[in-house]
Amino acid sequence: MSVRLQPELRNQLIQFGIGDWNACYHCGTCTAICPLSEKGFLFPRNKIRLMQMGVKDELETSVEPWLCYYCGDCTKSCPRDANPGELMMSLRRYLTSKYDWTGLSRKFYTSGVWELGFILVFAALVVIAFLFLLPAYGFKFTTELTAQGGVQVNAFAPWEYIEIFDWSMAAVVALLLISNILRMYYKIIWKDGKTTVSIWTHIREFWLLIYNFVVQPRFSKCEDKNYWLSHWFLMSGYTIMFIVIVVYLEWFQTDEILPFWHPQRTLGYYATFGLLFGLFVAIIGRIRKKRIKFQFSHVSDWLFLIMLTLTVITGILIHIFRINGMAWATYISYIAHMAILVPMILIEVPFSKWSHLAYRPFAVYFQQLKKHAVPRKSNQ
Amino acid sequence: MKKAGSTGVFIYNPPIAIPYPFDITEITCYLSSFPNVVRIWQYPDFPWSEKNLVKMITEHQLERLVIVGVLCGTVKTLFSKAMTLAGKNPRHVYLASFDEYGIELTKDLDRAKSLLAHMITDIPMEVNPAGIQPITQPATLVIGGGIAGIQAALEIAYSNNTVYLVEKSGTIGGKMATFDKTFPTLDCAACILTPKMVEVNQHPFINLMSYAEVQDINGSPGNYTVKILKKARKVNVQTCIGCGTCAEKCPAQEPSEFDFGTTMRKAIYIPFPQAVPNKYMIDAASCIYIKNGKCRACVKACPVPDCINLDEQDATVDINVGNIIVATGYKPFNASRMAEFGYGKFPNVLTSLEFERLLNASGPTGGNIHLRSQDKKGNWIFTADTPKPHRIAIIHCVGSRDKNYNKYCSRVCCMYSLKFSHLVMEKLSDAEIFEYFIDMRSFGKGYEEFYERIKSEEVEIIRGKTAKIEEKDGKLFIRGEDILKNDLIENVVDMVILSVGLEPSEDTAKLSAMMGIPISEGGWFNELSYDIEPTATIRGGIHLAGTCQGPKDIPDSVAQGSAAAAKVIRSILKGTVSQEHDFIPQEKIKSYLAEIEK
Ligand SMILES: Cc1cc2nc3c(=O)[nH]c(=O)nc-3n(C[C@H](O)[C@H](O)[C@H](O)COP(=O)(O)OP(=O)(O)OC[C@H]3O[C@@H](n4cnc5c(N)ncnc54)[C@H](O)[C@@H]3O)c2cc1C
Ligand code: SF4
Ligand code: SF4
Ligand code: SF4
Ligand code: SF4
Repeated sequence: MSVRLQPELRNQLIQFGIGDWNACYHCGTCTAICPLSEKGFLFPRNKIRLMQMGVKDELETSVEPWLCYYCGDCTKSCPRDANPGELMMSLRRYLTSKYDWTGLSRKFYTSGVWELGFILVFAALVVIAFLFLLPAYGFKFTTELTAQGGVQVNAFAPWEYIEIFDWSMAAVVALLLISNILRMYYKIIWKDGKTTVSIWTHIREFWLLIYNFVVQPRFSKCEDKNYWLSHWFLMSGYTIMFIVIVVYLEWFQTDEILPFWHPQRTLGYYATFGLLFGLFVAIIGRIRKKRIKFQFSHVSDWLFLIMLTLTVITGILIHIFRINGMAWATYISYIAHMAILVPMILIEVPFSKWSHLAYRPFAVYFQQLKKHAVPRKSNQ
Repeated sequence: MKKAGSTGVFIYNPPIAIPYPFDITEITCYLSSFPNVVRIWQYPDFPWSEKNLVKMITEHQLERLVIVGVLCGTVKTLFSKAMTLAGKNPRHVYLASFDEYGIELTKDLDRAKSLLAHMITDIPMEVNPAGIQPITQPATLVIGGGIAGIQAALEIAYSNNTVYLVEKSGTIGGKMATFDKTFPTLDCAACILTPKMVEVNQHPFINLMSYAEVQDINGSPGNYTVKILKKARKVNVQTCIGCGTCAEKCPAQEPSEFDFGTTMRKAIYIPFPQAVPNKYMIDAASCIYIKNGKCRACVKACPVPDCINLDEQDATVDINVGNIIVATGYKPFNASRMAEFGYGKFPNVLTSLEFERLLNASGPTGGNIHLRSQDKKGNWIFTADTPKPHRIAIIHCVGSRDKNYNKYCSRVCCMYSLKFSHLVMEKLSDAEIFEYFIDMRSFGKGYEEFYERIKSEEVEIIRGKTAKIEEKDGKLFIRGEDILKNDLIENVVDMVILSVGLEPSEDTAKLSAMMGIPISEGGWFNELSYDIEPTATIRGGIHLAGTCQGPKDIPDSVAQGSAAAAKVIRSILKGTVSQEHDFIPQEKIKSYLAEIEK
């Protein structure tokens, strides 16, 4: 089989954050030290080779970049400062843009203007909706408090409406994500054209997907246990919030102030804490740059951290203002909250950083499928 | 940077002098490119009288005068006086004297320009006068008694000139003395080296000072005064018969320096049986008598009266030499800096130099390869009582070609690793050997052929460096990528040899400061010119030989030893030391000038 070399690929990859692609002299130290690299699924060295030579097809169909959890061991021991860990990270950004058929992902990763513009437009739409659209349906800003002295949030942002909106947004995002995952599946499993995987294998290995999503065991295999913990907190906090807001908003967004130990509040507090803790570790890490994975921050990394932090902070403010009966403060934080949250979800989940939440466990699933793949019978 | 004041230039070339070797318009063009040069006068159109000169100086508001050419010293007084009369500083008369700065030939044009730039801009540059200095001391000092130092010392001594050979340790021979065989010829190292070492000791023109160090160097090229610290051997080198009775009785033990700590020696010891001088010595740091005032077991045992003097103190001597050859060699990279390989933690992870001792027929195991074990006191030593290893891994480039340690390639480790593979196959016929390399550097004469030969000897040569060694039940686990097979190999071996790189020896920085010769990137002594003056340094009369100048193998070290000796002999024969080095390249001058412009 002939291989097409596309050296111009390197210039593209530079936009996704690869630094010195030429530094590597192929000693293999990184592959040997990587706790996640295994027989049949070697990385990062041979991916760097593909990058240097511009073997685009093989790069695009490789699952390995997703198996790297960026512990940074390889970067630490690389004798040429080639930074293999960051090269893998950049490859993941590149692959995300390749899975995405809309082309937006690529735009967001390579152009700050596009990303910022997108955020501003959607933030503006949200503000307009709250100021003009909802009031047109008779909902109002009222300073009248409930009997308990809380703000009547549902009077200006009724949960039924918000939930419909949440659902539709979730549907859009899910559609995009699912179609991207299908593309990922096609590229990794079918495109190489050499092997085939049985239906039964698909079913049998599916449980792995669930397990990997919940526990993230590969992450803990990377040497740094503390980081696994904070990442786990961040992830679980995020998931809980996502579920209660999208599925159980009626239960979550009440005007009544529930007792402190009510699950609505404890669950909310836990999720908030998880998010804050994870964010705190990540932000401090990126500022201090001690951990290798935090040493090189792409614009998209910062943007995401900032947006998520602002979302959490405005969320906390809503809660505080509401139970203390500060109506206007509550409304303003609510609108701000939504104005940040909506563009963040729309960008991050299908197109950018948070898509790895889906790609990662699927990659492990696909890896498993590949292990059981059998050579394809040639078309006779 | 301060700008030099307006300058008048006088090009002087009286008919009695030798004519300029190059076109004078080149010089005038170059001179007029300096903004502070107000006017150029050319001989004989000079304002010759004092009065005319004063007029010129005031008319052109000259602050400085530069006289360029040959024999210009003869007219300096006239110009100084004129400056005084014009109310200017009489010291601001500068001589760019071609004869004084050794500018004689057409090829010296660049040198001439350097000199002019210096004089016109008044930027301090190290253009020293006197290209040649007389040598007043015919003797030569050689620092370091490795193969390079030995070679240089012998060459000079055979030209009937005195050599002082100062060796830091108790014996000459350097690293080569610890080897069994040398690549690529697989010659017996001792068979080549020992006769040379004995020659050094017996040569009437060589004054061997072992266990000695250079403490201070003063003076100028051709006439250096060197202070040498002779550490107390506490055994009389003249009378000791080398019988070894003393060591048998000595109760104190220390790891042997010569064996790189893989055997134990007594406090009174001989570095190795063929040491030169072949005499015993006392290590004051481990001698019980010196520490506690009690013992003297050796003195009681020694059959030669007054041979051992435990109270002998270090002494210093001053010697005068005309030339110095530095041949201080290298030290191995400290493998414990790379914690991932577990050197110093796992007994059977060895450095290459330790392994050389294991291979050596006169080494601790008689040349048989055995696993390393611990003695009662916890020292990791080689003995012939332990089992032999079956699977041995050799890891290349340890500490070399690595930005975290040394960036350079150490040049010899690929070849000695191949040599190891061969010698292991020879000694352990059932052994399996794995060599992990990145690139195979077999560049010398016969080296590639040697590599081909080893490849045919069933050595597993794997492209891909390993990253980590782990130990479990005495077995060593190595994970590495086989790049050519695109596979991950998890290997279990009994012994790992780390092919450590070469680093400049400990005293390099100290000696560099003492002698005023610079150190290059990587810490090696800097030669004057890599291509054409590989043994000279920027200081006249100081030469380099062997690995102190950069990693190299034995043939290259020997060649450089001879080359440095040739320079010294030339200097002794001519009675001069050359100093052509103070020439500053034009690029450097350009950058100086650019800085002034700012
Ligand atoms: C494991 C190994 C195997 C090798 N095998 C081979 C081989 O098979 N073939 C080959 O060609 N090359 C081989 N080499 C390379 C070889 O060792 C060197 O090329 C050679 O020894 C260099 O000799 P040298 O005289 O420059 O330095 P050295 O041998 O290091 O000698 C330097 C001498 O200077 C002395 N000294 C140091 N500092 C001072 C001081 N301040 N004052 C006074 N004296 C001082 C030292 O005590 C030493 O005696 C091998 C190297 C290693 C590490
Ligand atoms: S990235 Fe670094 S460690 Fe990995 S093969 Fe390249 S040079 Fe070696
Ligand atoms: S960052 Fe960690 S997981 Fe990723 S390739 Fe490097 S060593 Fe492997
Ligand atoms: S006993 Fe005396 S003569 Fe014999 S080796 Fe020792 S010091 Fe030399
Ligand atoms: S000679 Fe070989 S082993 Fe030594 S540093 Fe160079 S490439 Fe590495």
